[in-house]
Amino acid sequence: MTRWGMVIDAARCVGCQACTVACKTENQSPLDAWYAPVIEWEEGEFPDATLNYLPVLCNHCEDAPCVTACPSGALKRRDDGIVIADEEVCIGSRACMAACPYGALHYFEDRGTVAVEGADAEASPSVPERYAHQRHVRGAVSKCTYCAHKIDFGLENGLEVGVHPLATPACVVTCPAECRIFGDLDDADSNVSRYLAEHGGGEVLRPDAKTLPSTQYVGLP
Amino acid sequence: MDQFNLEARTQRVWDINHAIWFTLMGVGGGVFLAGRILNLTEGLGQVLGIPTVDVVSFLAIAVGGAILVADLGRPLQAWRAFVNVRTSWISWGAWSDLIFLVVAGLLVLPALSLGGSEPFSGLGWDPHGGDGGGLALEIVAGVAAVVVMTYAGAVLARPRSIPYWNSPAVPLQFLLSSAAMSVAVVMLIEVIAGEPVSPGQMVLLGLLTAGLAVAIVVHLVTRADAPGKKESLDRLLRGRHRTVFTGTVLAAGTVLPTVLSFAGAAAGDARDALAVICCVLLVPGGFWLRLLTLRVGIFPPVHIPSTAGSRSTGVSLGG
Repeated sequence: MTRWGMVIDAARCVGCQACTVACKTENQSPLDAWYAPVIEWEEGEFPDATLNYLPVLCNHCEDAPCVTACPSGALKRRDDGIVIADEEVCIGSRACMAACPYGALHYFEDRGTVAVEGADAEASPSVPERYAHQRHVRGAVSKCTYCAHKIDFGLENGLEVGVHPLATPACVVTCPAECRIFGDLDDADSNVSRYLAEHGGGEVLRPDAKTLPSTQYVGLP
Repeated sequence: MDQFNLEARTQRVWDINHAIWFTLMGVGGGVFLAGRILNLTEGLGQVLGIPTVDVVSFLAIAVGGAILVADLGRPLQAWRAFVNVRTSWISWGAWSDLIFLVVAGLLVLPALSLGGSEPFSGLGWDPHGGDGGGLALEIVAGVAAVVVMTYAGAVLARPRSIPYWNSPAVPLQFLLSSAAMSVAVVMLIEVIAGEPVSPGQMVLLGLLTAGLAVAIVVHLVTRADAPGKKESLDRLLRGRHRTVFTGTVLAAGTVLPTVLSFAGAAAGDARDALAVICCVLLVPGGFWLRLLTLRVGIFPPVHIPSTAGSRSTGVSLGG
């Protein structure tokens, strides 16, 4: 069984935010919704001060509280472990946002602002199907999908997921420091499993939440 | 944007609309049950032939449900809230609201009086639960009413995301608060109808409010140092919500009604007045209990750096 996951080596992150922008561009997320930002914080005091970086995104939890809480069934965990939000099915109860320990879900609230050009289904009903993931529904919740559209495209076209740029999440492809690795956590020979093994296993965010995340970290500050 | 932070983050998903919804659902389900447990469905007046307590119950739940639907991001899709009964407490709540309104509505339908006639009097059950059919409807509606009173707390308590909410004490508080408010509302209807409040009702109210006080205090002292909960308690007990929490929720919403209820049970002359005072104190107290529970819902940091003295500069977006 495949379980897609991402390993983030936080120690390698240089804080360039290329992942943040690549994700925004790839998914045309609604205004104010950043699926994969980088948190930064200061450490120490001048002259010995440094900045630390922590790339974050949906953890695609095995025991996903957002899926459990969602009343409409809009949030689903696919067989390959990716947690997706079907915005057409979402009713905007925001129960998922209250249930997610990471703040990984984003409510597309109509504040009288204009969505990114081409991203709004109402404004652009003619967006072709290959860009369907860029349609966002007002009053619904959206989230990181590990670029599931790219993974599906890669699998349909015989491309190696996590290696070929067309079959790998945009944030992974664009990272200049190669701090993100994407692959099958259930395959002991996959790039992610090997990386985790080499580094003595991964850590997760909010371990108290016991959600069994598929996004794991090494080198957490 | 306020997601993904290294510092404790207050939830802004649910606020006053949800507090009103939670309160109305609690009162709606509770008044239906209290009217029956206290055997007060008859004799306290009727509206179109239907007992006043039942009308109050239906109105509260209908208005609460309407507020919830209006608050959805996509209200026209509200029917989908019934889909995920396997795991979602909101789905359970939606079903229990619907079942309650339909079954309790059916129960009282034979008593409906329109223009002097009772068009549904031929239905084959007693609207007061005096026969098998009526009793069956009453039991189903009663079970649904208990779920209606409880599920809002269960919605909050189930996920581990917000430590202040993640406790069985939250649904327990909501249940006890709903029960206390409901008994008080029924006593208010009783006084308005010119019927005397009994000592037993005052003792019941006192026990409920005392139980609520204990549930709140136990919740406050349990896991008080856990990340996220500590910040919630700071806001409730020392921060911006201290006055409302200690004054309206704790003192006026639990301690004072407990004292007045037991005093009212003993003092015959002032009992009705004390019952009205309890109702006036308890309903705002119950509402503020729910609103403050929502407002002190705090997510702990997604990661606590190992280095002491670290200071989050928030989420940088490259600019």
